[in-house]
Amino acid sequence: MTEFQILTESILNALVAGLLMGAIYGLMCVGLAMIFGIMKVINFAQGDFMMMGMFVALFFFSTFTQQLVGDFVGPYIAVTLAAPIMFAVGYLVHMALISRVTGSRTAKLDGEGHYAQLILTLGLSLILQNGAMMLLGPYMVTIATPLSSSAWMITPIWDDMLLIFINKARGVAAVISVLVIIAIGLMITRSRLGKSLRAAADNPEASTYMGIDVNNAHRIAFALGIAITAVAGGLLATNYPFQPFVGLEFVIIMYAGVVLGGIGSIIGPFWGGMTIGIIQQMSTLVLPFQLQNSAIFVLFLLVVILRPQGLFGRVSERT
Amino acid sequence: MNSLTRRIFTLGAISALPLTMLAPPVHAQDADAVKIGLIAPVSGLYARFGQVMRMGAELAIEDINAAGGIEALGGAELELVVIDSGDTTEKAKAAAERMVAEYPDLVGATGAYLSSFTLAVTEVTERAKLPVLTLSYSDLITERGFDYIFQTSAPAGDQAGIAIPTVLDLAEATTGTRPTTVGIITDNTAASLSSVDAMKDGLLEDNNLELVVDEVFTPPLADATSLIQQLRARRPDLVFFLPTVISDSKLILEKMNEFNLDIPVISFGIAIAEPDVLDTISPDLLEGVMSAVGNYAFAGHEELIKRVQEKYGEPWMNQNAISTYGDMWIFKQALEDAGEANREAVAQALRDMDAGPSPYFPGGVLAFDETGKREGAGLTVIQWQDGVPRTVFPEEIALSPAIWPTE
Repeated sequence: MTEFQILTESILNALVAGLLMGAIYGLMCVGLAMIFGIMKVINFAQGDFMMMGMFVALFFFSTFTQQLVGDFVGPYIAVTLAAPIMFAVGYLVHMALISRVTGSRTAKLDGEGHYAQLILTLGLSLILQNGAMMLLGPYMVTIATPLSSSAWMITPIWDDMLLIFINKARGVAAVISVLVIIAIGLMITRSRLGKSLRAAADNPEASTYMGIDVNNAHRIAFALGIAITAVAGGLLATNYPFQPFVGLEFVIIMYAGVVLGGIGSIIGPFWGGMTIGIIQQMSTLVLPFQLQNSAIFVLFLLVVILRPQGLFGRVSERT
Repeated sequence: MNSLTRRIFTLGAISALPLTMLAPPVHAQDADAVKIGLIAPVSGLYARFGQVMRMGAELAIEDINAAGGIEALGGAELELVVIDSGDTTEKAKAAAERMVAEYPDLVGATGAYLSSFTLAVTEVTERAKLPVLTLSYSDLITERGFDYIFQTSAPAGDQAGIAIPTVLDLAEATTGTRPTTVGIITDNTAASLSSVDAMKDGLLEDNNLELVVDEVFTPPLADATSLIQQLRARRPDLVFFLPTVISDSKLILEKMNEFNLDIPVISFGIAIAEPDVLDTISPDLLEGVMSAVGNYAFAGHEELIKRVQEKYGEPWMNQNAISTYGDMWIFKQALEDAGEANREAVAQALRDMDAGPSPYFPGGVLAFDETGKREGAGLTVIQWQDGVPRTVFPEEIALSPAIWPTE
């Protein structure tokens, strides 16, 4: 291969890897944005709910979907089954805990309830991490599929001299992520539920006067946010090993993605996550590999300085 | 959104980093027992390694106490105090401060898995004059002029110096050709960088190896595409791979398979031979992969391996378990020599120790030089064969003969 061919192939493969990873990051970010955008709750336990989703998906995979439909389809059925479970977990957590520091009750709390929310979700995060550690141990596990070590190969030019590798597990995960995002977008913009969620986000007081049950809308938003991030986690688990502390590796990326995409926007953070994925991979072409994650935060700071409302946020919603 | 919300959001994003905190220290309450510390990660990303270290230490203490304890102290029993070093150097240092403050009666300690953690921990234990045994590899550990650190493994640079010619000889003997180009993919932890520094400072040149890929990453990786793209472009004869996290082992090996790269992988360190690796990587991808490690259960340990399997359900006994097992026996010897349960006396006994060959560490003898390095410390090379990592070098303690990966 010539140096030009090597460079071209490196750029194309980094771009593909970035797009695939970015789609999964994007889905994670949308889960967090759903909670923050609608409820204005800063959920520090989001990464740990993602971890929980990964373990729930692994449970379904190892107990029956693997035996039932095999290693290729089994992981995705397991992830699909994990979604309603995590929705129910989110719904119950909101009902039992989050609702006490959000909504109409925040009027009586310092800082509109944000201090209480911060402490509550940090506490939840610690409980989930250490609870999982006690119950499941510190073992590194994964949803094992042969797709994670194989690729679709594309040869756009120069025959076999230039190959683009699309990891099968990440490729399928990216496609599912995009489909989920489209479904969420349609739900938010077209359905009655979506309208009530948007109304509860825009003006909770006026929504109450219009007959919308704001507390219920918040509960659904929280549960949906948890379920969406859990699906992202389950998809990630098909190609990335995890343990009870895996949430910490991704929670910062989720927050960065939400700020990049625009605080207050629900779909914008998908593009925020996608941007992070692309920057993370493409930066290795010009910077030392060790600075891969630093590049993300340089971009993050640039966006905060130059476009504080984020890439897709409204001017009134600044970081 | 008001300014308070925005401020909290931004501050919160930063403060989310140090969320993991520690399992409480585990200890018994027997006042007459002699306390030995194990400072290792039992929470966070490296928890699994700390858990295995604990198994080895517990098993040794059980054996020592069953054999009558410390004779020189009237049969006093040993007691293990486990302190969670967490998963960052900052947490490890804080844990060490907690350890010396809360357990003033400790006579010694072992730890702390990653060299980066050990370097941080021993900054604290040195001031507290607490003798620490460690398997951590970094050359820096015994290059700081400290008096209370004792390194049982060969330092990383020495390990690379022993391992590289061994591997090249094996390649030549099997294929008829001696590799001439190499790619290095390493994480940026202290032990890995120590090995790589030694390679670049002359080892590669001495062994007529040309470095064609040289990549350093921060663990854990999210994706290995760009790293493996470098290997695909340069096609070295060998890959030296130095990870400390299991997930990185998986991502690298799977990506090599995905890119159809059939290059022999020689690893350094234990992250590629932990039992959890089998839960995340197909055994086919591991077959033939070799790793140079400071210690590993070898010929003569069959009974010990069996006990670890029965007691803890572990499939094999790795370097972390055999080393902490050996460390406890070293402390027993030091206590017998010192004749008192006092950390200064134990440290002096370790400095003066001359107990001949060790049954639990490869090569050399149980004696430490003035820097704290174990004299003549060797290493073991292990290789994945039929789904199990087996010791293949040195030949005199090997459990199986080595097989060149592309044979």
